[in-house]
Amino acid sequence: MVLDFNTLYTYPGRFERLFEDFFKPMYGGEGRRPVFPPLNVSEDEANYYVRSEIPGLPMDGLELTLTEKSLVIRGERPTEQGKYYRQERPAGFFQRVVALNVPVDRDSVRATLTDGILTVILPKCEGCIPRKISIDVA
Amino acid sequence: MSENTHETKALPRVSPAMDILERDDGFYVFMDIPGVRREDLKIDINETELVVTGRAPQGASDKETFLEVQFGPGEYTRAVSLSDRVDRERIKATLKDGVLTVFLPRLEKPAARRIPVQTA
Repeated sequence: MVLDFNTLYTYPGRFERLFEDFFKPMYGGEGRRPVFPPLNVSEDEANYYVRSEIPGLPMDGLELTLTEKSLVIRGERPTEQGKYYRQERPAGFFQRVVALNVPVDRDSVRATLTDGILTVILPKCEGCIPRKISIDVA
Repeated sequence: MSENTHETKALPRVSPAMDILERDDGFYVFMDIPGVRREDLKIDINETELVVTGRAPQGASDKETFLEVQFGPGEYTRAVSLSDRVDRERIKATLKDGVLTVFLPRLEKPAARRIPVQTA
């Protein structure tokens, strides 16, 4: 938690922090996550959305591949040079595969990266939006 | 969404992942705070600590239904205690691609000086 070089270090808010740490959910302690990068997948009527927290990479450091059945997000987080006192941020190569079990409009897939959040918008294809079929009574 | 409701809604507090390293010119602190815009980020320095707080709002619209959720909106808070060897006046912070970099330059050592003892 600290860069403890102070000669006379007082701990303001030390106990509050202790309590906060105690009541924190188990999985999210100290920012550690099981996988990097975390993904959110959502949909609305027109699109599927794949969002991911990938801080520290420019768009051209990121490789997005859309294959027949999947969307692959790949890249490498650089390691800073210097003498480390603390290293919690994940570094190195990463890859995540999102299986697409649904048809998407492959030509109009868009991706944006703002403030370290990647958003991929996969439009549902025209023919896949559910349509009502009227049944004529003979 | 108006700015006011935005302000009052409490977000879960998240402790961002942080790297601290030392180079020749001083200390560098890196924090992963994806989704935080520059205007939503606050860095406060008090006597002994540097406190970073930033809000990452929900990026999705209300109409979306989620199929998989591995991260969410949150308020990042993290405190770093400052060394006596850090020059507080020259601390620099930059935010790029969701990574906050804080540069803490080393304090220039005052030159050693001998104090002459006078006889009364």
